[in-house]
Amino acid sequence: MNLLSDLGLGFATALTFTNLSYGFLGALVGTLIGVLPGLGPVATIAMLLPLTFGLDPVTALIMLAGIFYGAQYGSSTTAILINLPGEASSVVTALDGYKMARQGRAGAALATAALGSFFAGSVATLVIATLGPVLAAAALSFGPADYFSLMVLGLIASVTMASGSIVKALAMIVIGVMLGLVGQDIYTGAARMTFGQPQLLDGLEFVAIAMGLFGLAEICQNLEDESSRATSVKSVGSLMLSRADFKAIIRPVLRGTGIGSILGVLPGGGATIGAFAAYVTEKKLSRTPERFGQGAIEGVAAPESANNAGAQTSFIPLLTLGIPANATMAMMMGALILHGVTPGPNIITNEPVLFWGLIASMWLGNLMLVILNLPLIGIWVKLLSVPYRFLFPIIVALCCVGVYTVSNSTFDVLLMVGFGVLGYVFMKLGCEPTPLLLGLVLGPMLEENLRRALLTGRGDPTVFLTRPISATLLAIAALCLILMILPSIRKKRVDAFEE
Amino acid sequence: MSMRNSVVALAAIGTVVAFSANAQSYPEQPIEVIVPYAAGGGTDLSMRVMAETLQKKIPGATVVIRNVPGGGGGIGTGEALKATPDGYTLGTGAQGPIALLPHYGATTYNIDDVDFLALMARNLQVVLACKDAPFTKVEEFLAYAKENPGMILIGNSGSGGANHLSVEAFGRASGTAFENVPFSGASEALTNCAGGHIDAVTATPAEARAHIESGAVTPLFVMEAERIAEFPDVPTAVESGVDFTWSSWKGIIAPKGLPEDVRTTLTAALKETFEDPEFIARMKEMGEFVDYRDSDGYAELARADSKMAEGVIRELGMYGMNK
Repeated sequence: MNLLSDLGLGFATALTFTNLSYGFLGALVGTLIGVLPGLGPVATIAMLLPLTFGLDPVTALIMLAGIFYGAQYGSSTTAILINLPGEASSVVTALDGYKMARQGRAGAALATAALGSFFAGSVATLVIATLGPVLAAAALSFGPADYFSLMVLGLIASVTMASGSIVKALAMIVIGVMLGLVGQDIYTGAARMTFGQPQLLDGLEFVAIAMGLFGLAEICQNLEDESSRATSVKSVGSLMLSRADFKAIIRPVLRGTGIGSILGVLPGGGATIGAFAAYVTEKKLSRTPERFGQGAIEGVAAPESANNAGAQTSFIPLLTLGIPANATMAMMMGALILHGVTPGPNIITNEPVLFWGLIASMWLGNLMLVILNLPLIGIWVKLLSVPYRFLFPIIVALCCVGVYTVSNSTFDVLLMVGFGVLGYVFMKLGCEPTPLLLGLVLGPMLEENLRRALLTGRGDPTVFLTRPISATLLAIAALCLILMILPSIRKKRVDAFEE
Repeated sequence: MSMRNSVVALAAIGTVVAFSANAQSYPEQPIEVIVPYAAGGGTDLSMRVMAETLQKKIPGATVVIRNVPGGGGGIGTGEALKATPDGYTLGTGAQGPIALLPHYGATTYNIDDVDFLALMARNLQVVLACKDAPFTKVEEFLAYAKENPGMILIGNSGSGGANHLSVEAFGRASGTAFENVPFSGASEALTNCAGGHIDAVTATPAEARAHIESGAVTPLFVMEAERIAEFPDVPTAVESGVDFTWSSWKGIIAPKGLPEDVRTTLTAALKETFEDPEFIARMKEMGEFVDYRDSDGYAELARADSKMAEGVIRELGMYGMNK
């Protein structure tokens, strides 16, 4: 078995004392910065990079990778406990995770996130080891038309995420897509809806919007409503999952891992789209979709597995093609190059120690995170018993610091405050912010790929139907639409029969 | 009267004393270099390496990097150029924000506000034929372009950016025209090139190396006056009869009006930094081509590019568009 000897080499590399220690250090630092809202892995890796100059490339990369997936873990923790998703990929986790925390099941939610992530991380590691190069080649065949169809599918599916009115969900998606238009148009170079503000040329900062809509709006709501504050304080709940909980999460974790692993390979926010997709899938498959958004444990298990699997498999295009799938991966690529390693198709043969060592360290890192985080859950949850009058100023301060550090811009802090007010209004109107965020993420990609597909197709709109990948995705989107309409038809028929 | 005179005299002496004390003791506080891009990009990484070396060359100095991203680099560059000219706030003088952006009208500065201290490095540009493109050599590329004007799909990293303007300028120099396909970043363009969704793309040798080795893309020509060490077999555009060169660059800039001795200290330290063999080796590992030029050489390069870009931008009708 070639794979076994390769993995053996990997573990021999990753299990040296130095590499284990740096891996642990990275995971720990990552968890901490993940818990601090807004302070993301990109900024952290950039700041720590000069410190790794003296290290062996393998050791440096193991530590930086530890920061990356540690941060993924950490941002789920704040999403669940205080409704503050530190990263786009944990936005979905906040939906049901925070509701569970409010119901006194914070411990169970965090344990689900930790175990789901660990399982997904282990599977994704194996996927990288066995299928890496194949998947990377498949990702390359995704052209502009295919991306466009994927975005269409994503937006249509996201409508089902709303637990309330479909019309309101649609409205929120459209607002999100429109907000995504702000900034310089890459096709003409023209500034759109920037009102002469150079800060708006690069578009609206996602982290500022997410924190405003989720975190600040939630704080306003809590301050207004005495009783809701009490529930988040009183009960901490058991950390252990019951047998019923385990049964409930097994399938969502498996499906989430599968969806996340596949979508993570695609360049451009794979982990985020994976988390959204896994959540939508579970809600569609559930016999009791109305529980989603109200504290369903499946709604935590699926996206958490998906985003961790996606985070892991996003290393595939980086390592095998030299293509970074997102900003953090671009950072990792910079780190590799700085250490004299050029990521690319030959990395496995040229740098076997580095490649397999990193893969083995990923699995070890995930194990460490579970060991590190299960005891920490107790501490995090205790944070909730801090009286709210002390807790909320701290959260607000952390949000401001976090948003500021994204691009050292006070403009973004003001943006967050503005969206906090808007989020509060949305809450009063019964509009959920999640579809808006999805529109904001997918909207620009939808537009760019639509125009690019038409440009490369020389204006022929049939490219979306003649390319097999694109046609398949559009067919699935159409099916989703039909399924969405069907239940209401079926319901009417049942009603009719009963009469 | 005499009282007033002596006050003036005292003040004058005070100023002179303070000034010379200032100059001798520079730097008294950390020197900040503003990078107008987000942490982690190529420019950011090379500036961090630069900061580490530079602080060894100025006794007692601490050099820190501050990222001020946004507006295509215009915000951070503007901030550096509007800072107090005391030598404690320097800027990264990159091609885009200095030579291109002011022509679109969305900046708070123009090239005349810049004090060019020293050029650090250039990013060489190589034009690649993508997977399944109908050409693999520069002659075939030019012939195909002439026979099928506007048919070759060339990826760039956003309209109005350096990759777009260089292709437009090349088209003017060679009498050909292309279809520009904008992407939101160089790596996305390169990915689509390796996947065969476009025909050609420009990239730096570091970005291109892995894809060339894998055989997914083929180098056509480099936009330099002479062949480059990294790809000795790849011809220049000049060799193929098209008088055209282009590269992107970055250096250290300051707001105008630095105290003369501070400026001397800085330019000398920067020269030492950029000629330090260890620094050059580290930058080479990162795929950067260190090309030290003094203040005048740097300013000359920047003004020449700015002038060339202005011509192309005016022809494209994009001049002053975001004012």
